[in-house]
Amino acid sequence: MDLIHEGKAKRVLQDPDSPERVIIEFTDTVTAGDGDKKKEFVGKGTIACEMSKYLFGYLEGKGIDTHYVKKLAENQLLCKKVTIIPIEVVCRNIAAGSFCRRYGIEKGIELTQPLIEFFMKDDKLHDPLITTGAIIRLGLAEREDLDFMRSVTLSVNYYLEELFKQRNLILVDFKLEFGRTEKGHIVVADEISPDIMRIWDSKAASLDKDIFREDKGDLVATYTQVFEEMKKANPDEVEPRTESIQVIVESKSGIKNPPGEVTKKALGRLGFADVEEVRMGKVFKIVLRKPITSEILNQLSIMNVKLLSNPISEKYKVRLE
Amino acid sequence: MVVAVLRFPGTNNENDILRALSLIDGAKPILVPSRKGLAGLKDADGIVIPGGFSYGDYLRAGAVASVESITEGVRNLAEDGKPVIGICNGFQILSEMGLLPGALLPNDSARFVCKWVYLRVSDNTTMFTEGLEGSLIRIPIAHAEGNYYCSDDELESLRDEFRIPFRYCNEDGDVNDAANPNGSIDNIAGIVNQKGNVLGLMPHPERASRPVLGSSEGLAILENFVRATKC
Repeated sequence: MDLIHEGKAKRVLQDPDSPERVIIEFTDTVTAGDGDKKKEFVGKGTIACEMSKYLFGYLEGKGIDTHYVKKLAENQLLCKKVTIIPIEVVCRNIAAGSFCRRYGIEKGIELTQPLIEFFMKDDKLHDPLITTGAIIRLGLAEREDLDFMRSVTLSVNYYLEELFKQRNLILVDFKLEFGRTEKGHIVVADEISPDIMRIWDSKAASLDKDIFREDKGDLVATYTQVFEEMKKANPDEVEPRTESIQVIVESKSGIKNPPGEVTKKALGRLGFADVEEVRMGKVFKIVLRKPITSEILNQLSIMNVKLLSNPISEKYKVRLE
Repeated sequence: MVVAVLRFPGTNNENDILRALSLIDGAKPILVPSRKGLAGLKDADGIVIPGGFSYGDYLRAGAVASVESITEGVRNLAEDGKPVIGICNGFQILSEMGLLPGALLPNDSARFVCKWVYLRVSDNTTMFTEGLEGSLIRIPIAHAEGNYYCSDDELESLRDEFRIPFRYCNEDGDVNDAANPNGSIDNIAGIVNQKGNVLGLMPHPERASRPVLGSSEGLAILENFVRATKC
């Protein structure tokens, strides 16, 4: 099998049976601090693979698009071939790791709501934090893609957090990678294991890669223990979460907007003389039963053209909330 | 011949249409509530979609009605070459359905316009204007979204294919800006589809169908429509 990519803890191989699929092989290597610290742990690849299979399957069941297809060998997953978007999406519920160092705050502070951060995927630069403005201007991803990844990451956060909560496991933070399939769909890629997330028990003891980062115990035993605990949770008891979308419909530029003109005159009568132009449009708030996927976004475009806007005279924008 | 007069929730001109049609020999008008769906149109030889405020003009005038299942039947009849007239809200529904090109936008004045206007009938005949070619018709309008808009290319095809039978004009028959009640492109008051059997008209011929109403000059349009149902 041809090696497509060799990462720090995984190898990506071409699936000999399908050009649209790859085989992801989980190695026993564990690295931290950008690869400064590196070690082999026998059985780590297998447990990370098992857990990824389990959690990808769970998330797929909740309607989230991932690259996962099926498990092959004990440390191999068959996945859809994707082009990885060079942005790592981090979601934080509790302050830990680089977040504490960057802002000089104490580990363990609960954030008022989940925080999404983007990091540029670049080992040489040590994966720096990056702003959305820079991502767009550097051409690493489009604004729509970032909004999409943010929305999906928050859905993943909800579903993992609720599952773990059943077993008194606390999801502190995690990192996702996304890829674009041949069809152009953006899906969750890479892996989902304690290598990419922090999980604490009720006494804030680490059950993840921090064991290795801080030399606090037996890594494989801890991963196995947290996985066993996870499997005792009941996925069916996690309630589906709705997602809100805004569709903004405006008349095309160049088309007169009488309601806006009347409003402008009225504002003028109230003394707001500096108002140059007012254009009135419509906003639809649409609540979906499922997490947002590329397919749902396609359906939304059809919805917009068929009913919500009149393409002859109007244009629309979709905003993920 | 059976003329189906459609009523969507919020349609309110259906009785005026039924009454006007009852004056015409050979017309057998029936009221068809939209909830009847395709089955409601099975005997129809022609369709009138009257004015009103279907679905409260929510979303855009005519938009919600345009995706009701009965519109499939309207499409089928139109494809068979049967005559279809959409008046006022009916015109908005036909354009939202895509059976007629363009869109009806809010009036330039941003006001509901309700008044008598004059129409200049095109010299080029259509199914609906036989005998009226080149004439002047006095007829009422009553709408908030009657500002006909289409792309320049579309306007060119409409002109080249003689598909603009009705344009707003003054009492002398001059088609000009001053006589344009709503901002419609090229003073358009009514257009037909490429086949010539689907008419969209903002003014109300049924409200100019008897002398007691102030004019009976609109009746001829409906008479032509009824004659076409027999073809």
